[in-house]
Amino acid sequence: MNMDTSDDDLVAELLPAFIEEANEQVAAFEQLLLELEDTPDDHERLDALFRCAHTVKGSAGLFGLHRVVEFTHHVETLLDQLRDGLLRLTPALSTLLLQSNDTIRELVATAQLPDDEASRNARQALAQRLQEAAGHSGGGAAQASQPTGPAAAVLPPSHRRWRLSARFGTEVFRNGMDPLAILHYLADLGRLEPVACDRARIPELEAMDPESCHLWLQFELEGPVERSQIEHAFEFVRDDCELELEDLTAGLDEHPADSAHERLQAAVAELRQLAAPTAAASSTTAATNAAASPRPRESSGTGGSEEGGFIRVHAHRLDEVINLLGELVIAGAGASQLARQTRQRGLIEANQRISRLIEGIRNSTLKLRMVPIGDTFARFRRVVRDTAAELGKDVALEIVGADTELDKAVVERIADPLMHLVRNALDHGLERPDDRRAAGKPAQGRLTLSACHESGSVLIRIIDDGRGIQRDKVLQRAWQRGLVPQGVQPPEEDVLRLIFEPGFSTAEQVTNLSGRGVGMDVVRSNIEALRGSIQITSEPGQGSCMEIRLPLTLAIIDGFLVGVGSSRFIFPLETVVEVISSRPDAMAVDAHGRGCVDLRGRLLPVIDLRRLYELEPDQAERHSIVVLRSGTRQLGVLVDNLLGQHQTVIKPLGRLLRSLRGIAGSSILGSGEVALIVDADALGQIASSATRGRATRVAADPASMPPAGRPESGPSSRTPSPTGTPTPSHNAPTAQGHAQ
Amino acid sequence: MTDEHVLGADLTIYSVAHWAERCRLWVMDLDGAAGDLPLQVQADRVEEVDGAGVQLLLALSRSLEQRGRRLALLRPSPVLLKALQRLGAGDLVVQQLAQEVGA
Repeated sequence: MNMDTSDDDLVAELLPAFIEEANEQVAAFEQLLLELEDTPDDHERLDALFRCAHTVKGSAGLFGLHRVVEFTHHVETLLDQLRDGLLRLTPALSTLLLQSNDTIRELVATAQLPDDEASRNARQALAQRLQEAAGHSGGGAAQASQPTGPAAAVLPPSHRRWRLSARFGTEVFRNGMDPLAILHYLADLGRLEPVACDRARIPELEAMDPESCHLWLQFELEGPVERSQIEHAFEFVRDDCELELEDLTAGLDEHPADSAHERLQAAVAELRQLAAPTAAASSTTAATNAAASPRPRESSGTGGSEEGGFIRVHAHRLDEVINLLGELVIAGAGASQLARQTRQRGLIEANQRISRLIEGIRNSTLKLRMVPIGDTFARFRRVVRDTAAELGKDVALEIVGADTELDKAVVERIADPLMHLVRNALDHGLERPDDRRAAGKPAQGRLTLSACHESGSVLIRIIDDGRGIQRDKVLQRAWQRGLVPQGVQPPEEDVLRLIFEPGFSTAEQVTNLSGRGVGMDVVRSNIEALRGSIQITSEPGQGSCMEIRLPLTLAIIDGFLVGVGSSRFIFPLETVVEVISSRPDAMAVDAHGRGCVDLRGRLLPVIDLRRLYELEPDQAERHSIVVLRSGTRQLGVLVDNLLGQHQTVIKPLGRLLRSLRGIAGSSILGSGEVALIVDADALGQIASSATRGRATRVAADPASMPPAGRPESGPSSRTPSPTGTPTPSHNAPTAQGHAQ
Repeated sequence: MTDEHVLGADLTIYSVAHWAERCRLWVMDLDGAAGDLPLQVQADRVEEVDGAGVQLLLALSRSLEQRGRRLALLRPSPVLLKALQRLGAGDLVVQQLAQEVGA
């Protein structure tokens, strides 16, 4: 394809859209192929599979991406054989196609880079295998797909000339369809040559029902038009139109392009439209193809097709709305507070109404960012398939609750931890078929990925029916690694949690999958960075269950507001375990604000925020220690006032404060004060860096611990529940916040 | 006569039944008239047309041909002209007008 400078600009402009859409096709290809493994004779899926490859190939050709075209052609040829029933989809063939799809994905991603020899060789080897699989030895396969002969087989889709005959059914007009609109559409794709309307088929006026369609059109279309594009134009009338399509391209000379812009845009448009693979499939013969034969529409489940009006919105626009919404929540809270101060009932009620509306807008807006987790889950089909094969295991993947929705940002960031857990289950959890049979279990292992909403958060479970986690091995390893003092038997539930400790691994054989330097501790910290948590249960011989609990959104949290002097801090409510009261002199703290107390016989590291952040001197007579959960540990935070539950819009910290340890973000209170959102994990690290050595010793022999401080009343005096509000503080906030 | 034969703004499936009635009346009027002059229809007001509209004009043309007459669309609006040409019915305009001019 010859492109001048303006064409190059166009390509540069449109290429990102092509890549994005082509990636969707590649993803759909993989998904369809994996589904086809269960139902190899599903013709609709086979057709859809073919269309994915065909569309990528056609559009890549318009962009002059010859590597993509050339390679995808081989895939298409093989798929043709499958569609024609000349081949059957075997696991080996499926693997080959998956590898080929990976190659297409890579080719699309590296479309603009120069080809390198290694990948060219690999590609050629794969193409060779594809040809062999298609039984192609210079024979019929390639020709079947490309009726115009071997030369056209590797040519990008260029100028073609099609002869069309479209005989519309009588109900076309009444069904709201317009043949004229189809012609207009086709005229945008290429040059519409003399259109002949068979007037003999149109009744005379006197005998005619003007609302019945009697149009029978014959015409030629010339341009860079693929068969699928033409068929797509007729998609809505395909049950009510006899379409005959003939490729007249044989022998046609290359014509200069009419309009590169039109062609490129048509390519991207086509990809977009075909992202939902519902169009009729391309024919495999050179002869005419009655594309109008009725075909049932594919269900949305087979290719991610979505009916109805969807708008593609860039994520940053949504983020802008959510940021503004955050401001609105804050401004609304401020207005409500002022209204209360006036004690004017009308004003207060008006503000309450506004607050309710803001809450409604907030909920609706946050929903805009919600995406189903199914797409992420679906990726694991391939992982499970390949990984199980690699390990010589037979594993069935079950996906439950794929339509469960959560924030896009959470979905994106949970994919990696999930991947690790899935690999882990395959690698360490599920046994080989022989071992399973020996254990009296079915040879095929089962791995379940499930998601559901539960009390305002999303619960994701990864369940396997493998060998389970052997507690004694875990404990042995923990002793070896010094995670637990030698000989100490932690409580049963704590043993399993040890696998989330840094550097922990029980794999006796370092496989290709494990030993990549990413441990379960990273999984846990990733999940906790999302303000989520992970629980593990396991039954020896029966399997394990990893339970990940995630917040629905990252933008707004339920917080627990506290005061230290005139500063305000917010703890994420789900990290708050309990609150105990304390005297100022009950605990000795070091220069960094670190100390510890004895909480019911356990050592609790405590951070004094006043000392840590060098806030103004202490005036309060009584203090509280808020006990926070940080991963598997707990820590206390010494504060002056408890100010209750507070819904908080998280705002990022400015550049100056970003390096501040222990603080995750900020929020503006209704009064205009700034509150800092505490990062329990970071505080936990600050605390444990001081107390770990002592904690180890103390855990081994609690009696030997010198009590640094004791809560006055032992058990908790106030315990906020996730939904309830803790008892109001004993000291009301007095001063204005000065946190920056 | 020309003044009476005017197509309206909408020539789509929504109005095609109405226009079919009008066209039948025009043809019936012609039956009483002598000669073989084309039926001249003013088409400059057409703002919207679809396949059903063009099909109606083709049916009108056929009926007229049965009577040894022709349809001559005068000053077709651009949208109508485009639609006629798309559906291979451009002759309803161009050729007939040419005859008109030549006559």
